[in-house]
Order: sequence, then C-alpha cells, then structure tokens
Amino acid sequence: MISGNRSSGPAVLIENLDKYYGTFQALRKVSLSVDRGERIVVCGPSGSGKSTMIRCINRLEQHNGGRITVLGTELNDDVGNIDGIRREVGMVFQHFNLFPHMTVLENCMLAPMIVRKVPRADAEATARRYLEKVRIPEQAMKYPGQLSGGQQQRVAIARALCMQPEIMLFDEPTSALDPEMIAEVLDVIVTLASEGMTMICVTHEMGFARRVADRVIFMDGGEIVEQAPPDEFFTFSRNERTRQFLSQVLGH
Amino acid sequence: MVSLLRNQKVRNALLQVLYVGSIAAMVLAGIAIARQNLAAQGITSGFDFLFKSTGWDLNFSLLPATANDPYWWYFLIGIINTLFLGTVGLTLATIVGTIVGLARTSSNELARLLGRTYVDIFRNIPLILQVFFWYAVITHLPTPRAAHEGWGFLLTSRGLYIPFPNVSSAALAAATLAVIAAIALPIWLGRTSRLSLPVGQRGGIQLACAAAALACAAVVLVAGRLADLPLLDFPALQGLNLRGGLRIPPEFATLAIAIAIYGGSYIAEIVRGGFKAVGKGQVEAALSLGLGPWRVFMLVRLPLALRAMLPILANQYVWLMKATTMGIAVGFTDFFMIVALTINHSGQTIEAIGILMAGFLAINLSLAAIFNRINKAIALKGNQLRG
Amino acid sequence: MEMVVVAPPALGKIEDLRRRFFATPLQALLSLASLAIMVFLVWKLLNWAVFSAVFTTSGGPEACQAAAGACWSVIAARWRIILFGLYPYDEQWRSALACLTVVVMTVLSCIPAFWTGRRIALVWGAGTALFYVLMKGGVLGLPYVGEEAWGGLALTLFIFVTTCLIGFPLAICLALLRRSGLPWISRTTGLIIDGVRSLPLISILFTFAIVLPFALPQWLVGDKLYRVILGSALFFSAYQAEIVRGGMQGVPSGQEEAAKALGMRYWQRVGRILLPQAMRNALPATINQFVISFKETSLVIIVGFFEILASGNAAYGTGEWRFAYVEVYAFIAFIYFIFVFSLSRYGAFLERRMSVGER
Repeated sequence: MISGNRSSGPAVLIENLDKYYGTFQALRKVSLSVDRGERIVVCGPSGSGKSTMIRCINRLEQHNGGRITVLGTELNDDVGNIDGIRREVGMVFQHFNLFPHMTVLENCMLAPMIVRKVPRADAEATARRYLEKVRIPEQAMKYPGQLSGGQQQRVAIARALCMQPEIMLFDEPTSALDPEMIAEVLDVIVTLASEGMTMICVTHEMGFARRVADRVIFMDGGEIVEQAPPDEFFTFSRNERTRQFLSQVLGH
Repeated sequence: MVSLLRNQKVRNALLQVLYVGSIAAMVLAGIAIARQNLAAQGITSGFDFLFKSTGWDLNFSLLPATANDPYWWYFLIGIINTLFLGTVGLTLATIVGTIVGLARTSSNELARLLGRTYVDIFRNIPLILQVFFWYAVITHLPTPRAAHEGWGFLLTSRGLYIPFPNVSSAALAAATLAVIAAIALPIWLGRTSRLSLPVGQRGGIQLACAAAALACAAVVLVAGRLADLPLLDFPALQGLNLRGGLRIPPEFATLAIAIAIYGGSYIAEIVRGGFKAVGKGQVEAALSLGLGPWRVFMLVRLPLALRAMLPILANQYVWLMKATTMGIAVGFTDFFMIVALTINHSGQTIEAIGILMAGFLAINLSLAAIFNRINKAIALKGNQLRG
Repeated sequence: MEMVVVAPPALGKIEDLRRRFFATPLQALLSLASLAIMVFLVWKLLNWAVFSAVFTTSGGPEACQAAAGACWSVIAARWRIILFGLYPYDEQWRSALACLTVVVMTVLSCIPAFWTGRRIALVWGAGTALFYVLMKGGVLGLPYVGEEAWGGLALTLFIFVTTCLIGFPLAICLALLRRSGLPWISRTTGLIIDGVRSLPLISILFTFAIVLPFALPQWLVGDKLYRVILGSALFFSAYQAEIVRGGMQGVPSGQEEAAKALGMRYWQRVGRILLPQAMRNALPATINQFVISFKETSLVIIVGFFEILASGNAAYGTGEWRFAYVEVYAFIAFIYFIFVFSLSRYGAFLERRMSVGER
C-alpha cells in the first residue's frame, strides 16, 4: 500500500517517461515533479501527449519506459501499488463518464463503499457534503441522463472527491461543455484549488490557468517544451512553439 | 513468492497458462480415457475403419450404396444427403419466405394480416414438432392402392410419386447443369465488365443465352432418353405396388416440407426487415422520376432490400443447414445420422465425432465463404447511400 | 419521427373501405384473394376444430373416429400423460405445481423491479430449488420420485430452466473471457465459442448423452439427464455469450476508465459497472435467445427423453387413439405457442420501449 514517507517528497514524480502506441511514440523522456499542494495546468495542441501523460499517472495507460512515483510509491507492475495509487488519485474526464445506471448519489457513494469499505451512512454523508460543495445537492436522486453537461461534470468532480484523494487529475474537464456551462465547472475547480488540493489539469482555458496555476506546462510532440509560473509563461515565453500556440488560443 | 504473485505481468502469464493448460488437459484426459475404455471393448482407435465395409443399409442416397461399401463412402453420401436436403429445403423456404415476406410488407391490410398470422404460428412452434407432425400426416396417407391422385402425382404413405423423365442419369445431370447455366449466364452477362456493350443493351444477348441453354437442356433430355419408353414416366399402380415416376421418400418429403414452412417464417421476417431498411427517400425519388410501381420495386426497392437482408439471410441459411440433422428423428440418413449409426455399429466414437465436427465446420465455412463473395459483389460502393 | 398528419376529411364507411382495399384493380384482386384464403382457412379450421369436433370421451374412440372434425376426446383421455408423462398418478399435482412455479418465475423475471443480478438470481435459484423439491420429493413428507419417472411438460420445463440457470452465468464468463485483454485466453475462448456455434444442437446433445460417458472417469459420468442439460447449457451459453459480448461492446470505454480511476478492482468493475449496462443493452436479444432455446429444448426427444413431444407420441401412438395424431400435436403445439408467443411479444414490446427511451 501507500507506505512510509507520505509526508515528505513530491506528490508526483515523473522521470524520463516514454510511451508508445505501436510504433508511434506519444511521450518522449518526459520528466515532471509536482509538489504537494501544487496546482499544475498542462496545455498544448491536440496530440501533444498531455492527456496521455496524466493518464499514465493512474495507470489508465501503461508506460513503456521511465519511472512514475506517486506519493512515494512507484507505479510498476505490482498490483497492490496500482490499486493503492488509484485510491489516492482522483480523476475527472472530458466526457464525465458518470455511471448512467445509478443515481447521482449512488455514483458518489459506490467507490468509497466498495473500495474504501466506508459504511453506507458515512458514504452518504460524505457524498451529500461534496454534492453541496459542487452546488448541486438537490440533484442527488436524479440519474446522470437527466442533468445538463455542466451539472454532470460537477457530479463527476464530487464523485472523485468522495474518495478523499490526495491528488486530482483533470483531463480537459470543460472541452465537451457548452460555453455557458464552462464557468460553473471552473468555479468549482477554483474553489478546490484554493483549499490546497494537489491538482494537475489539462485544459485550454488560459484565463483559468492564469487564475489558479502555480505552474503552467506546455507540451508538444510528446515533450514538455516549456514550464513556468503563469505570469512568466504568458508574458515572456521563450519558445517559438509556445508563442505560436498561445497566439492561437488567446489570439482571437 | 507473494510479491511475485502481485506482479501484473506474472499474474497475466500465470492466468493464461492455467486457463489454456487446464482446457488442454481436460480434452487430452477425455481422449485418453475414451481410448482406454474403447480399447477395453476391443476397439482400436484410428481411421482404419474408414475402409472397412459398413454392413448396414441406407434408406436414402443419391449415389449407389450397398452394405458392402466402406465407411468413407457412407460419410460422403451423408454429406451429400445433408447438402441435398439443405438445398431443397432452403430453396423452398426462400420461396415461401419471399411470398410471405412480401405479403407482410404489402400495402394491403388483408395480405399483411395473412402474412403475419403465418409467421406468428409457424415461428412459434418448434421445428421438431412440425417435423413429427408432417411425418405423421404423410405416413397416415392412404396406401398405394387408395392413393390420392392428380395430374400424375400420387400421394401415399410410401412417399410422394411424381412424373419423371425417362432419361439416363448422365443426361439428367447435364440437363440440370444447362438449366443452372440458363439462370446464371444472364445474371453474369448483366454484370460483367468484359463486354463492351453497355449494360442497358444486353437484354437481347441475355435472352438468347438463356434460350440457348434451355434448348441445350431439352436436346440433352431428348437425346438421352431410354429406348422404347415414353419421355415422361408417370407413376401407376401395378399389382400391390406403385411403378414408375420418381418416388420421394416420406422422410425426405417430411423434412423438406417442415424446413420450408418453418424456415419460410423466419425468412419472411428477414425479407420484411430488408424492405423496411430501404429508405423512404429513395422510393420517393424513384417515383418522382416517373417510374411506375413495378419498376420502382424491381430497380430500387428489391436491390436495396436484398443488400440489407443478405448477411442475416446467410446466418439463417447456416442455421437451416444445421436443422437437417433433425433427419434422425424420422430416420433420414443425413450426415449426422450416419455418424450416429457409425458409432452404434463400429464403436469408433472419437473418430466419428471428429469427422462430424470437421464436416459441419466445412459446411459452415463454405456457406459463409459463398455468402461473403456474394455480399462483396453486390455491396454498395462507398457508404454515402445508406439509410 | 412523428409526422404531422392533417386529419382527412370524414369519409363514408363505403368510401373508406374502397380506399383501403380496392384503390386499384391490383389491390382489389389482392384483397379478394386474401379474403378468400382467409375465409376458407378460418372456416375449415373452425369446422374441424369446433363445429364437427367431438369433445367428450363418452362415445369412446369409435364415435370419435367416425366424426368429420377433430377428436378432442383424445386430449380429454390422455392429457395427463402428455403433461406429466409417467409421473405417479397420485403425485401429479406436484408436477403441475412445479410447472406453475416455472410460469411464476418467468413472469417475475419480466418485471423490471427484478432486474438486478441478485434478485434475478434469487428468483431463479429459489424457483428451481422449489421445482426440484416438488418433483423429486423425499422431503417434507413428499414421496420420492426419481428423475427417470419425470416426463411431459414438467421435464421440458425442467430442462429449459436448468439450461438457462447454468448457461447464463456460463455465457457471462465466456463473454468476459473472450473480451479479455490476455490474447491466449480470448483466443482459446473464441475457439470454444465458435466451435460450439458451428455444430448443430442435436450433435452436441448426442455427444453429451451417448459419447461423453466413454470420455469421463467413472465417478464423473453422472445421470444422463444432467449430462444432456450440461450440453444444452453449453450450446445456450455459446450463443448467449456473443449476445452478452455485443452488449458489452455497447458500453463506452470511459465507463471502465472511470471505474479504474476510482480504484475499483476487476470484479467490482465487471459486477457494478460493466454487466448492469451490458445486460440492459443485450436484453431484447437475450429474450429472443430464451425463446429459441425453449423451442430447442424439444430436441432432447432425440436422445431418448420422455419430454412433452415424446409423451405426446405415446399418447396417440398406442392402442385405440392411433388416428388422433393431429389433435395431439395441435395440443402440444398450442402449449409451446402460448409460452413462446407471449415471451416473444414481450421481447418485441421491450425492444420498442427501449428504442423509444434512447431517443
């Protein structure tokens, strides 16, 4: 399980990460260290490997080279390590991926009950607390199909939080949303950030990045091209590719 | 050790080895035990028995067969019987199914009701029950002396007797081929790109080819007729027995009828589904071009429906081909029954079951291959025309 | 797909009929021909089955044979053997009750409130157990009746229910194995499934009933009935596995990923996320498979079981009722028809309802 040095060391340590799909190399020697409580925003053109990178952190993708250490535990073939890391790392997906055959409340209670073995009453209390936090307590008994995209994504955030994770991963959480719903989801994430949650967020929302990120990372062609605090990143980016990307995202 | 078991790669390898290994072990153990048991009964395993004579008779065979023939010959006859029954059954079922299916899609409410009643009744009664029923009906027909008679056909408890040309079997085979050519040639001519003539102007050639092939068939039949006998041989009562004509044994007739009726109800649903899949827009477009209802049907609805129903039809045909194994219920010596009889008489259990599996695998695969060919040949190019 | 229909101007009844059935000469011909066929068939059938039929046993077979219509007296005289086979006369109420259990079980399974893995398993497990206890006896003061005395409808239903009870979980296992990420497991399973599917059911039943005893150690041979049930279940599961797999393919891959990200283990993901959704997708095809499998249960007659078709053959085959085969087969066909028709109608209803739900 997650052992020993929980309190010290970086939350996520990625060293020389390689990932291939067949012969296509999606990640090339990526290295990244994320401290506890740090808020990282990852951006880059599509196909740059940013989603692949964060999906490697909880083993939704298996990396082919390098090391990933999460909360002091190395992510390797050891099944116990994988399970342990997944328990401590929450993830929010682009397409929400709520379980359509369960109510919102059940979606939030399921994993704590069967993975963490939390008693039902406690799980329900936690679920309701987090649904309150994402500002949709009144939807608890509805099914995901009955909610708007923005509401579904907030449920997905609450569901991940119910596992009381140490780290949260966001994989383009607002890309599939209608424009008027993006703000309500980002607000929730900003609140979370302000409470000191360690988070890695892949997004194209540059305003959001400026507001919450401690560090912005730009990826292209499977590599980390540049990383810097947001003020520096947006104003003095050194790399040509970064500037081109920023002008495309911010330009119009 | 414990930490090794927690390793994902080790686990995966172990699981695969265990799974495949245990299945292989079970099969091998089964074969070993069977060989031992059979050896105890004095049966040596191996395929030598294929060349021994069987010592029992067949009640239906398209090829000459006697009890002295070896097993491999019987197996071949079995496969041919199965294919023959299957082909006859499938053809009849397709005819029935097309008629009923068209009735079900017709714009006439009464015809639809009639078609629906047919499908509801015959689809929902097990095939084997229908086989038993028709067998009872046929075997309860009157004896040859009191046979139902009409147009030269005789219905008796010994089978159905139909008029049959008095020709040598070689001429018959040649004529059959000629008739098949009469159907296949025009179709091929209509599609081939080797002809420089535009497709629209090939009607004459197609017609001429079909006529020539049919004429060939007629000539062959007349030339091959047996001396001193009328061209058509009508069955007639002679003493206590029926002479002449072609006798269709009750077992074969039963199975062909049951498969035609039961299979027809399934094929009717497939036909209906095929026509339902043709988009309204395409029919409306054809009508708006001024085509009459008949040409809309022949040129637009039927070709499109055929493409939609073909894959499902292929599955249904495979299923019906397997249904010929019900022959054993009434004593028709199809492939399966011959295998069962072989096991009874020779005790070569493992080998016979192996041959059975191989035979059906071959039948299924070749049917699938034929349908894949047809499917590919008529598939719409590109996918913009769907729906 | 709803189209706005402008209400047609009210037509006279005659005009309405003319439009519906006699719009063109071809339509008129078709209508008249269909009508003629229908009237002819209905009249023939009614005349045979009702007007000229004999319903009582009072006249005995002779009066019956003389009549022009159906001889339903054979059913009146022999229904017990058709439904219960050779089951002891005094205990046949148990056989009847067992059949009723199956009907109740089936009806309960059709109610959406029972569509959770646990509840459906409970209904079928308890139902089958009750069926078995009722039929076999030996407990609760019920006299013991061995399987060799079971027959008729009860045996047909027993084989069907146990086929499903064993075949369904097996189908789920096969489907899971076939979609496994481990190549050797999925390939081997694919080979098994495709192999079984390419064989006719009769040959599998024959193999299990007659050939398998050679290939099994003595202690494993068991009763022929249970071997045949196993064969039938294997056949059922090979087809059902492909249906379940189809249902699984309809579950988006994001579901599996979300479950993984929440730390759920393989069996938790399968049980809580994958299967509930896959089974819902596969429901119409599953009901269809049940219908087919129920019809195919009748094939066990070939390996020598005294199920309803065989007991029907016996009911008319011996003695004075030899001529009344049509009536007996009609009766059995009617029983099959009721089960199969209602189940397939229910399946069609579900399919319609689910396709509406998706819109």
